Amino acid sequence: MMRLLLAALVLLGAAGPSFGQTSGDPPIGVHLGVATCAGSNCHGATQRPRNSYVPGNEYLIWSQHDKHHIAYQVLLENRAVKMAQALGLPDAAHQKYCLDCHADNVPQDQRGVQFQLSDGVGCEACHGGASGWLGIHVSGATHAQNVAAGLYPAEKPIARAEKCLSCHYGDETKFADHRLYGAGHPRLAFELDTYTAIQPAHFVVDQGYIERMGRITDLQVWSVGQAIALIKRMDAVLDPKHAPKGTWPEFAFFDCQSCHHEYGDYARPTTTGLGPGTVKFNDANELMLQVAAMRVAPAAATALRDHMMALQKATVENWSAVEQEAQGVRAAAQSLVNEFAHHNFTGDDMRALAEALFAHAQTDDVFSHDEQITFALEALTAGLKSSGDITDQKGQTIDNALKAVYAAFPNDKTVNRDAFNKALKGLQQAMRR
Amino acid sequence: MIGFLRWQVIACALFFALTASARADDVVHLGVQSCAGNNCHGAVHPIGNSQVPQNEYFIWSEKDKHAHAYSVLSNDRSKRIAKNLGLADAEHAPLCLDCHADNVPPAQRGPQFQLSDGVGCEACHGGAEKWLGPHLSGESHAANIKAGLYPTDQPEARAVRCLSCHVGGEKKFVTHTIMGAGHPPMPFELDTYTAIEPAHFVVNKSYIERKGRPNDMQIWAMGLANDVKLRMDLVLSPAHAAKGVNFELSLFDCQSCHHSMSELQWRARSTTDLPPGRIKLYDATTVMLLVAADRVSPDAAKALATHLLALHAATGDSWDAVKREATTVREIADKLIPQIASHDFTKDDAAKLSHAVVASALNTGGDLDYSGAQQQVMALESIVAAMKHLGFADEKQLAPLEATMNGLYEAVANDQTYKPDTYVAAMKAFSSKLPI
Repeated sequence: MMRLLLAALVLLGAAGPSFGQTSGDPPIGVHLGVATCAGSNCHGATQRPRNSYVPGNEYLIWSQHDKHHIAYQVLLENRAVKMAQALGLPDAAHQKYCLDCHADNVPQDQRGVQFQLSDGVGCEACHGGASGWLGIHVSGATHAQNVAAGLYPAEKPIARAEKCLSCHYGDETKFADHRLYGAGHPRLAFELDTYTAIQPAHFVVDQGYIERMGRITDLQVWSVGQAIALIKRMDAVLDPKHAPKGTWPEFAFFDCQSCHHEYGDYARPTTTGLGPGTVKFNDANELMLQVAAMRVAPAAATALRDHMMALQKATVENWSAVEQEAQGVRAAAQSLVNEFAHHNFTGDDMRALAEALFAHAQTDDVFSHDEQITFALEALTAGLKSSGDITDQKGQTIDNALKAVYAAFPNDKTVNRDAFNKALKGLQQAMRR
Repeated sequence: MIGFLRWQVIACALFFALTASARADDVVHLGVQSCAGNNCHGAVHPIGNSQVPQNEYFIWSEKDKHAHAYSVLSNDRSKRIAKNLGLADAEHAPLCLDCHADNVPPAQRGPQFQLSDGVGCEACHGGAEKWLGPHLSGESHAANIKAGLYPTDQPEARAVRCLSCHVGGEKKFVTHTIMGAGHPPMPFELDTYTAIEPAHFVVNKSYIERKGRPNDMQIWAMGLANDVKLRMDLVLSPAHAAKGVNFELSLFDCQSCHHSMSELQWRARSTTDLPPGRIKLYDATTVMLLVAADRVSPDAAKALATHLLALHAATGDSWDAVKREATTVREIADKLIPQIASHDFTKDDAAKLSHAVVASALNTGGDLDYSGAQQQVMALESIVAAMKHLGFADEKQLAPLEATMNGLYEAVANDQTYKPDTYVAAMKAFSSKLPI
């Protein structure tokens, strides 16, 4: 009886969001605020609460180590103030334009009593407004029940990719265009699996996690992240808002370092099939997806490559040709999303992917490629370790070799080519059986 | 009758102009060796009552980079550029040779001519076939010119000749394809580059008698007007028209894109009025021409300022709009050329110009872009040279100017490490020493 009642309550709760709002109803999905989650007996615990599935220190990790926590605060800093000035805004901290990614900027009527905009990208920015699910969540409902009641399924690769990339690349309402970059916004680098790990993650994949959430692998997260990132890129290209204005296309679609490089005496051959001196469309996500697809769905890999090369060529022809090829790239990426989300990447798969990445690194020296290759190797290392395919000692050797790869990047804009190639060789050795 | 006579004169003049230009196009270039004799321009000291020091060949061959223009085509960098461009090599490609050598057709190469001499005497002074005789026979400078010697002493002629490579034109232009393949950027300012070439002429009494007294400010302004005119020609050239969303990026300011992403770059500039994140047409020489024009023709300066803003705005509109504004900017620059040629740049001009160049950097909304700073420094170099050469300032006044000028050069020495704050400080130090 008790169980039935609970189930009925859960169903009722779940029905709320999916039925949508009708006028006069109190708003659903109210964001209650970080303080609601941060109790010492909940997610702000210094030691694991009794019978808890999770360590309970999630709030502490976020507030002490996770940059999402200072996302709002940076809007008050000198750099943001200067950027706002350049954009003709009075400040950054009150602008929807900035707040939509630098805070949990829900409308006023969806902010609960403990909600504070200054909490930055707080719990509910990613996990969803808790008013519908907090009750059952603290009452011990299952994860599936919480999700049914409105908790965002951040563990699912596709859902996680959609949520993270809505800011870390952009979507139809949020987009870091070149005007924003020109005003001084830092470049957005991203890879879903690596960034999940270095956030740092405030979850631990243990038996309890796997039982509740299922086994999700680093390679699924990596490959789905690449596919969704590419889809979002193509969506932005196809968005009429970002069509060329006057003489110029939206530069944010292009590879930053394609223009922003020193022009010392080292001119590189292009990788786009276009002549020297042409601006390169950012194809790093496409390249990673192509490498992954070559192992899992070779036909899609070929389609991706052909459409992306045609897109590069179209950038020196006309924008409608770019749009046409963007449709092709998007369709190829879309066809891979579900396949990757459920693909069982074996140890052999991972080693083959690593070899493909090492081989590619020798063929060009494009910064955005090097960066994504490094992130991919991070995901592969994590995947190999968690798959049980390698010993702990081997894992340590690989970790050390990977550190050398990262060390080849003196900053987030340049790579020391010789050190990078040497470190990749070391990692290649370390990864072999 | 008078009318007829006038027509006859004009017809004669036209005939001569046409034959002269035809001659200039097909005369034989005799080669550097013909000039380098130890009794001519390759003498270690002047012989007899020579009008020139006669060491011109030595200065060129020992110190002037023009002498290496051809040989650099076979160095590693050029090999890589050629490879990137899909060329077999650089030293046989007309694309490279047209500026890196005196690349006249084989029929116009005399027995002593060598392509490997690079940008030799006749590349600038004109093929000597027709004038070497009278030149050796002690003819006047004017007579030599009539016979085909190029009048490099005339500011406009010098500007046209130097800029034909140093900015380029319809036939010779360092496109962004060539830049992207590895060609270095090409800063230029006529008066400064004449001096640092280094000049192989000495302005003495004899020079002034034969050629008139050069005025560095006039050479500077003339270089700017021709530079702007040529750049607008390039914008208007169908060869460099935008193809789809692909632009001839060499028309734009290098550092507009090629800058580090580490620091906040953007600042409001009153002469562009562009929002952040946009690529800027190269305009450093136009901004300096604004300053020069204000002394020569204030109305032209005002019109130029208006149309420069409109030109920048047009890049956010359409290429047709860009061309429309470029046409107007070109016209203004073109009209300024004869006005600059006839303007007497005085001590008062030197004072006003030097302060105006400083203001173009330091005023609110001033041009602190790297390319702008580079042109400002060279403008000041020219104005200080004028003060020195024309006696507008004495040695005591010039010494601190030249010392602080070093700080300006240091501040613009490297486009990647350029810091506007350092430059502003150097500019303030310099301007505090301005004597007039």
